[in-house]
Amino acid sequence: MRSVEYAFRQGGASLWRSRGSSAFAVLAIALALIVLGALLIVTWNAEQLIAQWSSAAEFSVYLRDDATSDQRGAIETAIDQSGLANGRDFVSKAEAFTRFRREFAELSELTTGFDENPFPASIEVRVRPGAEHESAEALVRRLITMPGVADARYDRDWLNRVGAGLGTVRAAGFALALLMAVAAAVTVATVVRLGLRARREELEIMELVGAPLAFIRGPFVAEGFLQGGIGALLAMTALWVGFLVAMAWWGTDLNNLLGGGSVQFLPIRLCLYLILGGMLVGSAGGLVAARDAA
Amino acid sequence: MIETHHLSKVYSRGLYALRDLTLTIEKAEFVFLTGPSGAGKSTFLRLLLLQERPSEGEVFVNGQNLATLSRSEIQEYRRGIGFIFQDFKLIPSRTVLENISFVPEVLGVPAAQQRRRAFQVLKWVGLQHRMNAYPHDLSGGEQQRIAIARALVNDPVLVIADEPTGNLDPDLSLEIMNLLREINAGGTTVLVATHDRELIRLVGRRTITLEQGKVVEVA
Repeated sequence: MRSVEYAFRQGGASLWRSRGSSAFAVLAIALALIVLGALLIVTWNAEQLIAQWSSAAEFSVYLRDDATSDQRGAIETAIDQSGLANGRDFVSKAEAFTRFRREFAELSELTTGFDENPFPASIEVRVRPGAEHESAEALVRRLITMPGVADARYDRDWLNRVGAGLGTVRAAGFALALLMAVAAAVTVATVVRLGLRARREELEIMELVGAPLAFIRGPFVAEGFLQGGIGALLAMTALWVGFLVAMAWWGTDLNNLLGGGSVQFLPIRLCLYLILGGMLVGSAGGLVAARDAA
Repeated sequence: MIETHHLSKVYSRGLYALRDLTLTIEKAEFVFLTGPSGAGKSTFLRLLLLQERPSEGEVFVNGQNLATLSRSEIQEYRRGIGFIFQDFKLIPSRTVLENISFVPEVLGVPAAQQRRRAFQVLKWVGLQHRMNAYPHDLSGGEQQRIAIARALVNDPVLVIADEPTGNLDPDLSLEIMNLLREINAGGTTVLVATHDRELIRLVGRRTITLEQGKVVEVA
């Protein structure tokens, strides 16, 4: 405990003495965390949006033109009894035709010239929020085999594609943040090493009197830890201010993009992880430098 | 207290700093190690402080073979040794009292005890009135007395001094030697490396003379 207290007292004093050069290390850590934090804000909000879309998922069961009311009843019973549906609507052939002409007015010419209505009747099923996608897909596969069903569509491909795209963006961002974190750790190590050289004689005396390694190396690790902590707090402040400014300028547009939801800052848990990450990067840099001490 | 058996230290290109050194220094003895520059005095002290390892032979201190000590055992061993250098090696950014209390501080001694022990040894060397001064405010003799106080603060069983009077005039040198004699009178083994023959004559203790890494005389 005394070694920790000593390490932070000496590390803090050293940080203050070399505040000019330490500012570079603090800035490097802050920049790495700003990049990572900004990326997390974007991906976290996008994930919330995808989750919202996922919970609002629907599938459609298209009926054959010759499907009987008994067959339709059996299909609807199968849907209701599956426990996966939050509700369902029957869309008749006429309603499907009207809907197409309304929603795709520019394509309405395509519907002329037919002797009869080409659109099938369908049952649109809203999937219960929280229902497993695999279960919904299994239900769809079962419905397709039932008499009176022409086809069934549960199109989650685009959601999966958005999710995969988001994963790629996140992976690329993490790789970039990792590179910046390594660069920040190297900067911390360089700055701490400068302080170490200035205290060479003190370290020699410490070694000669038999000081434990925790006392010799501890202050340098603590110095890196403090640089990382300050950098992380700086990054959090910059991210928060940036978030407020972005919301003031583009808040309405961003909220509309989220379909009426509101863009959120990072949850406290992630903020704490980022601060902890900064401290770890700083400590790692300090530890690398401290290995030169003894 | 100190025993060496066929101790040699070879640097690069086959240059011997010490060659086949076998000697014994008894507990509570005051011994001078002398010889011209390059005779191997400092190398011998560095081997005793485990700042270097022997090329051949063995060193025993208090019955412990230094070659077999682990890292933590080396730390423990060094806590029992006080060292004094020609250039004092005081920390310029710390006051006199802090320079001394620094030793117990980095050994994890509680703060109140650190200051009490530091003040006691400072009083012993007669510089308690300079406790808040910085090393650059002190004379050479005062700085060396602070270095002696620092060497004693941990109550060592062995004090090693490498040319402790090298930067001091004859009167101050004798004053420092008297302090070392007092330390020795308390039962602490004292080993002083010096090339000052006049000082050795005045103090009059057993003297081991080295030349080109070999013992040439024990008187």
